[in-house]
Amino acid sequence: MPETSQLSTRPQNTRAIMVFLQAHAPFSSMDDDHLAHFAEHATLQFFADGEEVLSPSSGVINTFYVVKQGRIRGERVNDKTDSPETTFEISQGECFPVAAIIGERPTRTLHRAVGDTFCLSIDQDAFITLISESEPFRDFCLRGVSSLLDQVNQRIQTGALASMGASTSLSTPLERYTLRAPVSCAPELSVREAVGRMHASNIGSIVITDDNQTPKGIFTLRDLRTLIAQDSCSLDDPVQEVMTKAPYSLPAQEDAFAAAMLMAEHHFGHLCVTDDENRLVGVVSERDLFSLQRVDLVGLARTIGTATDLQTLVSLRTDVSRLVDAMQAHGADSGQVVKIITTLNDVTVRRVLELNIMKRDPGIPFTWLAFGSEGRQEQTLLTDQDNGILFETPDGMTEDEVREVLLPFARTVNDELAECGFTLCRGNIMAGNPKLCLSKREWDDWFIRFIDTSTPQNLVYSSIFLDMRPVFGSTGPVHDLLQKVLDRISNNALFQKMLAGNAFQRKPPLTMFRTFRYVCDGDKRSLDLKRQGLAPFVESVRVFALAHGIENANTLERIDALTKKNVFDTQDAHAWKDAYSLIQAIRMRAHQEMLKRGEELTNYIDPDDLNPLDRRILRESFRQAQRLQQKLEVTYQL
Amino acid sequence: MLKKIRQWVKRHRATSTSTTALDNMPNPKSPGEQLLSDCRLVVLDLETTGLNASKDEVIAIGAVAITGSGIRLSDQFDLILKRPELDISETVLIHGIGPEALTHGHETEEALRFLLEWMNGDPILAYNSAFDQKFLEKTLKAELGYTRHHTWIDVAELLPTLFPDSPTGGRSLDHWADFFGLEISARHHAASDAMVTAELTLIALKKAQSAKVKTLAQLHDKLRYRRRLTRIHSV
Repeated sequence: MPETSQLSTRPQNTRAIMVFLQAHAPFSSMDDDHLAHFAEHATLQFFADGEEVLSPSSGVINTFYVVKQGRIRGERVNDKTDSPETTFEISQGECFPVAAIIGERPTRTLHRAVGDTFCLSIDQDAFITLISESEPFRDFCLRGVSSLLDQVNQRIQTGALASMGASTSLSTPLERYTLRAPVSCAPELSVREAVGRMHASNIGSIVITDDNQTPKGIFTLRDLRTLIAQDSCSLDDPVQEVMTKAPYSLPAQEDAFAAAMLMAEHHFGHLCVTDDENRLVGVVSERDLFSLQRVDLVGLARTIGTATDLQTLVSLRTDVSRLVDAMQAHGADSGQVVKIITTLNDVTVRRVLELNIMKRDPGIPFTWLAFGSEGRQEQTLLTDQDNGILFETPDGMTEDEVREVLLPFARTVNDELAECGFTLCRGNIMAGNPKLCLSKREWDDWFIRFIDTSTPQNLVYSSIFLDMRPVFGSTGPVHDLLQKVLDRISNNALFQKMLAGNAFQRKPPLTMFRTFRYVCDGDKRSLDLKRQGLAPFVESVRVFALAHGIENANTLERIDALTKKNVFDTQDAHAWKDAYSLIQAIRMRAHQEMLKRGEELTNYIDPDDLNPLDRRILRESFRQAQRLQQKLEVTYQL
Repeated sequence: MLKKIRQWVKRHRATSTSTTALDNMPNPKSPGEQLLSDCRLVVLDLETTGLNASKDEVIAIGAVAITGSGIRLSDQFDLILKRPELDISETVLIHGIGPEALTHGHETEEALRFLLEWMNGDPILAYNSAFDQKFLEKTLKAELGYTRHHTWIDVAELLPTLFPDSPTGGRSLDHWADFFGLEISARHHAASDAMVTAELTLIALKKAQSAKVKTLAQLHDKLRYRRRLTRIHSV
């Protein structure tokens, strides 16, 4: 390495290259001396448009390149079509070929210049020196391609964290929360003694275990308050009489997010953590998980779930938005955040239904269905209603008679949900619509017609009705219905092909020249992150999922399931999930910012408002959508 | 860079400080059958106290070398000469070299010897090379008594030869840099101007190769042919 020296004594051209490098990852986190080593050993080369830079036949790679200006395209020959397809694009400030130089092998991809392109390169010796001396550089090269995406995620989180103070991440395994030995007692201990132990250890809960240390129940200060207020038993009774039996537990390997979701869904504040043999190793409280948060998920879910009137529910919606902000700060990725929003929305929907049943019970067993993004558990703060009802026809009633009872009820619920911020569906895809308030038999008929007569309108509907999930009421009938639908689709190649053709229509917003294709919106250049960005993923993945009998409607979980079934290559799946999640993250950040400025929420953004790194990420994410569509194209011969 | 010069000075102080060392300087090469794809070319830019070669002086020398179609940053020259006695008030605003920087510059004689050795007699390219050639030859003669001629190639001539009728909007270095979307890190800094001139040269050489111009001699002929054409047209 060169001796340490001031930047100003270095030649101007070396300095200029260091300044250039500093604007890009991983160089931005490298020491000056290491950057100088790169710059002093660099060679600047020019490649004309379309010129080959590296090819599989150039032999073992011993040069490491950074694009200084222009672009490099990766080309691989598709075995099936025998024509070259672009596998990736490398733009200004990005490095190549990382995997090949690390693996000391030839590159597997033809690298070709797009437009007038300048690259800085260093030879293997300089590369090895940097790998061995610079930690950020080593991390970057060894972690490979996804590392750039990781860095963006890290940055989104640290940005939000800066205003929140340090905290733990939601992906922290639960065992980290169980450093303190759990306080437990035998079932026979009196309530008084149990509370004495809680007091001595200054904790809010005690777990009641059997001889094998298996949790049998939990007793919390909240339970004590209820106990005294209701004066229902004596403090000298055994604790097992008053404990909450069969407490929820999670294995220690699960992460904080899983714990938070479980707590939010069931509205409790404590969770047992157990080892492989189901023995108690710790207790996690909502306080542990969100110690620094002003709004907490579990508390909010509980407040929503027990609200006594509509006005309270309406006022709680602002807390949901604040919570989303806090969650992003706590390192929840966009997939987690949309699930949290969906969970809280579910709680709200359920509570609105419960309140209405309390007021005026229609007396007919039904399941409330969610479609579209709610069905996929992918709701953001901007959401409208897509719902329906599946009912059981009581003996002696016709389906139309049932509808006469249920429809007014459903319409009231639709209106009240609108007051809570779930916009009424413009296409009238709501439970109050007689066409969507159906018995099990009618739904089945409806889907048969839907699948067998694939009209253009049906294809538009496919994005809504084929992402279905029960939110309230019995889940059994919906499961049966879905199974039949999936069987029918997997046996209907024509319907699959039409679905695929429909999904293929939604092109990611990139031009031939890999720049953004804007929607016309007056003078402002804008991208529709939902319709142009996310929809290509959602729609393509749906086709594959339905064709392979996957019942889950969530896009990320569908990708996982497809990977397990070997429909998707693991690496592709990883890239697609990253790309989808990043578009979602950028969209949600934009929503939060619009909310702070008091603007109406839209899915439009102007890419010029993004920083260069996010713009690049967005472009790469859209390109991944193109790749996914290419797979659709090849699979269904579109 | 500084370290290299110090080493060089040490080596040479021991042997001689007189003009006899000039005999050991590398011979200037004439344009022959050297392949453009692997010969070494020096791209140079001078900052001077003014435009008049008979009275103005060189104050900074920046140069990079092109070898094997690449600019190697390990092979570059970036020096401010030690000329405190010179009046630079006229040009100080353009190149930003003030009196202080000049006093911290290098002994002119040493710097020029080092430059000659570093250039290794290779062909020199510059933008509007007549200007740099006049100043450099005058300075070499005055300071060292060195009178040999290098092969000079004008990049301002090379570019329109290979990219005729390009809508650059003008003939200056900035026009061509803009045309190819190049960034100049510090305009009117000798090394930085030399760098962008070298980048333009890389683009031009690539174009030359696709036009079957393979050797230095062929390139020289092509430039001469264009010069003749221009002369005919202007008559």
